Amino acid sequence: MARSKSIRAPTTASLPSNLRIPSSTPSLVKTFGKLTRQALLDLVFQWLEDGNVQHFPPYLQANEGGKREEEGDDDGLRPYPAERTINGVRNAYQELQFRKGGKREVIDRILEGDWRHGITLRQLAMVDLRYMDDHPSGLRWTALELARIDNPSSNESSACIPRVHASTFLSSLQQQISPLVKAHYHLARSTSLPLTVLRVFVTASPYQTAPRQSAESLTDSSRTIYVAFPDSCPFFYTSMASPQTASKASSALPNSLVATDVRSLQRLVRDAIPKALSLPHQRYTVKPTSLTAKSLEALLALRGPGRSNQANGAFSIFADAALEGSPLDPRPSNTVSPEEHNRQLGSVRSRDSAGKENTATDAKEATLETRRASKRSLADSKEPGTSKKRTLALQSRFGTSGTLSSAPLDRLDVRLLDALPGDAKPTEHAQQPTVSLAFAGTDVIGGIRKLVELGVIDAERMPCWMTGEEGVSVLAVREGRRVSKAGR
Amino acid sequence: MSTHSLNTEEETESLDSEISTIRAELQTLHHRRRILTNSLLTSRPFQRLAKSQSQSQTTATAPRSSQKWTDLSPLLHSSALHADLNHHRIAFSTTAFPFTDPSPSPVPSEAKKLIGLRIDICARDGSYVKPYYILLRKGVLHLSTGSDAEERTGKGGRVLYVHRHTVPPVVDVGALERVYLPRAGGDAARGEEGEQLKPWKRSPNKKKQQDLKGFLREVRRQLVVWHVRCDGVRYLRERLGVVKRGEGQDADADEENGVWERDVLAEEPNQESRIARNDLGIVALAATALEAVYVRVEWADGRVGRFKISNAGLVERAVVMGDTGRDKLMEAVMTGGNGRLETLLDRWRKHASELRGSAAAAAAAASVGDGASQTASEA
Repeated sequence: MARSKSIRAPTTASLPSNLRIPSSTPSLVKTFGKLTRQALLDLVFQWLEDGNVQHFPPYLQANEGGKREEEGDDDGLRPYPAERTINGVRNAYQELQFRKGGKREVIDRILEGDWRHGITLRQLAMVDLRYMDDHPSGLRWTALELARIDNPSSNESSACIPRVHASTFLSSLQQQISPLVKAHYHLARSTSLPLTVLRVFVTASPYQTAPRQSAESLTDSSRTIYVAFPDSCPFFYTSMASPQTASKASSALPNSLVATDVRSLQRLVRDAIPKALSLPHQRYTVKPTSLTAKSLEALLALRGPGRSNQANGAFSIFADAALEGSPLDPRPSNTVSPEEHNRQLGSVRSRDSAGKENTATDAKEATLETRRASKRSLADSKEPGTSKKRTLALQSRFGTSGTLSSAPLDRLDVRLLDALPGDAKPTEHAQQPTVSLAFAGTDVIGGIRKLVELGVIDAERMPCWMTGEEGVSVLAVREGRRVSKAGR
Repeated sequence: MSTHSLNTEEETESLDSEISTIRAELQTLHHRRRILTNSLLTSRPFQRLAKSQSQSQTTATAPRSSQKWTDLSPLLHSSALHADLNHHRIAFSTTAFPFTDPSPSPVPSEAKKLIGLRIDICARDGSYVKPYYILLRKGVLHLSTGSDAEERTGKGGRVLYVHRHTVPPVVDVGALERVYLPRAGGDAARGEEGEQLKPWKRSPNKKKQQDLKGFLREVRRQLVVWHVRCDGVRYLRERLGVVKRGEGQDADADEENGVWERDVLAEEPNQESRIARNDLGIVALAATALEAVYVRVEWADGRVGRFKISNAGLVERAVVMGDTGRDKLMEAVMTGGNGRLETLLDRWRKHASELRGSAAAAAAAASVGDGASQTASEA
C-alpha cells in the first residue's frame, strides 16, 4: 500500500511492523502456500486473539463508515463479504476449521477477504517462522561462538554467557544496522525447540517506502536472515541462504543496482550481533566453530546448552550418562542397559508422568530388542564370531550416538593432510598432496555407523573423526587427528 | 452390522490397553525384583558371611559349601565392587576412573589412556542428577625442540589437558582449564612474545604448575552452586504453586491474574506455566536464564523486580520498580533478614502482614483526625 506522502526523507528507523503489503501481490500466495491448512488456521486464530487483534486488525464493514454505500455494490461481487465484528471473523475461520478442504480456500479468505487491505510485515514474519517450526531442517545453519575480547584475568568464569534482554538487544542491533540498510525485525520463540529466533528482513533503501521498491521485494525470501539464539550458552546460529534461492533471486531482479547482495547483507547482520550484545567493559567477538548443518537439533546437540557439546562419538556414553546409574542404584552397572540408565536418570523429576512414559519406552525398547535380535540372528547365520566382535567394536567407537541421541549432519567435509605412505621426506610441504573428502546425506555419521554395522568399514582402524567425535562439519586431519589450523 | 463391528473394535481396544497395562506392571515388578536381589547381595550381613565363607574356604576346604559359594561368588563379587564404588561416589562426590580411548592412534601406548573424572551431585529431592564427566588426556610438552626428546626423557614433561567433558556451558570449563591447568608449552611461547612487547610485565602463567585438585574443586563448586540456585528457584515456585498450561482449565476466574511464561528450568522447556493465585500478589517468578543467577518477579500491582542469587544461596541484590519509581522498602525486605533464598517468601509474608497491620492502624487513626491519617499513609 503506497502512502501518499509528498516529502520523503531517509530515516534510521526500522521498518514498522504494521507496514502493509498489498494483498494482491502474487508472491504472497506462494508464501502462504508453504504452510499447511491447519498451520494457517492456527496463525489466523493467533492474530484474532484478544491481545493480538489490534496488531492485526481484519477488514471490517463497520470500519468504513461513510464509504459504505459506494462499496456496497462492490462488496456484493466479492466472494468474501466483509464481516461486521471480530467475532464474526473468528466464527468464519472456526467454520473452516471444522470443514474439510484445501488450504487454498483459507489463503483466499485471508488475502481477498479479511485482510484485503494488506498483510503486515509482522504477519509475514509470523508465517515464515511458523514454516520454520514445521520444517526444522529447511535452512542451513552455521553455529558461531561468542567470546569475550578482553578477559585475560576475569575471575567470574561463568560470565561468558551474555544475558540478553530482547528489546534492548533489538534496539542496539538496529542502531548498528540502520545506517547501512533498513530492516524489519521480528523476535519470536520457537514452539518446538528451545530457541529464540530473530528474523531480520533487510531492504536496501533508507526510505520508509520507496515507490520503486515494489511489493515483490518486500516478500523476497533471500533478503531475510534468521538468527537463532539457544538458551544460556555462548553460541548462536545464523541461517545461510541456500544457493538456489540466491541465484533465483538474482535472476528475478537483474536490475537491482544496489550492491546489497545476500552475502554482504548477511555479513552486515552477523557483524552487528556481537556489537549489539556487548556492554561497556564486556565486549564480545564472534568466532567460527566449523559447524554447519541443516538440522537445528544437531546444532543444539553439538553447540547447545546441554551436556553433549564436548562429548560425542565414543564419548557420547558420558553425555547420555549411559555408562552408569545414580550412586544409589544397587544394580551393577554392566547389567543395566544404557537406555535404562539414561531414562532412569533423565526422568528423575518428571516422575508423575512415568506411567505414560513407561509404556512408550517399553514399546520402543521391545522394538529395539526385536530389531537387535533379528539382526543378530541374521548375522549369526553368516559368521557368528566376527559379528559379535563387530557389534562390540561398533558400540565402543560410536557409543550411544545414533541410538539414544542423534545429531544428524547433512554434510561433512574433510581435508586429509597426511603425506603419501611412500614419501620419505615429510619436509617438502609444497609438493604434498591434500585429499579432500565430502560426505553428504541426511545423516552422515549415522550412515557411517550403518556401514560399520554392515562390515564395510573396519571399526577398529577407522579414525575418530568418522564417528562424529569432533562435532564439526568441516575439519582438517593429520595422522587421524584433527588439526585446528592447517599450518600446525 | 456397524454397531457389531464397533463393539468388537471397542473390545479389542480395551483388551489392548489391558495387555499394555499388564505388561507395564510386569516390567515394574521385574525391575523391583532386580533391585531387591541386588540390594540383598550388597547387604552388609550377606557380604560379611560371604567373606568369612571364602576365608574359611581358603584355610580349610569344605567341598560342599565351596561348590555353592563359587557358584555365587562372581555375582557377589561384582555387586560388592559396585557397592564400594557407590559408597565412594556418594562419600567423595568426585571420583576418578580409567578410560581407554577406542580410537586408533599412531602412538598407541600413552595417548589412548585417559583419566576419567566423575562428579556426582545430589539434588534437592535426594536423587542424583546425571553424573558429569571430565576426561583428561596425558600429553607431552609441545615445545619447539620437538616432542620426541621430551617423550624420551619421560619425566617432567607430562601435562594434563581436558580431552572431552560433559559439563554444560553454564560452567566454562575452558576458562577454568586455562587458569588451573596451564599448558606450559603454549603459554611459555605466548609469554615470551608478551615479554618482548612488555618487558615490565611478568607472565604469571609461566612458572605456574598445573593444579588438578584446584581445577576439580572449582568445577565441582560451580556445578554445585548452579544446582543449588536452580533448586532454590524451583522451591520458591513450588511453594507459590505452579499451574501448567493446558492442565488446569478450571480456573477461568484466574485468567487475568497469571502471566503465562516459559520456565527455563522446567523439564520441558517449551511448556508454559504460571504462578498460581497467592496471597502475596505475585504473578510471575522465574529465573531469567538457565544459569539461574537472576530471578525476575512480577507483582499483580505492576511492580517488577529482579534479584541476584549469590553463590552462597543468598539474595545478594534486588531491584524493584513500580509505577512511581523504585520500591526501596521491598528491596530491603528481600535482601534483609538472613538473606536466604529459601526464606524469601516468609520475609515477604511478614512484610505484607506488617503492612496490613499499619494500614489497620492508619484506618483506626483516620477516625481520629485527618492529619494523623495523612502521616500514617505517608509512613
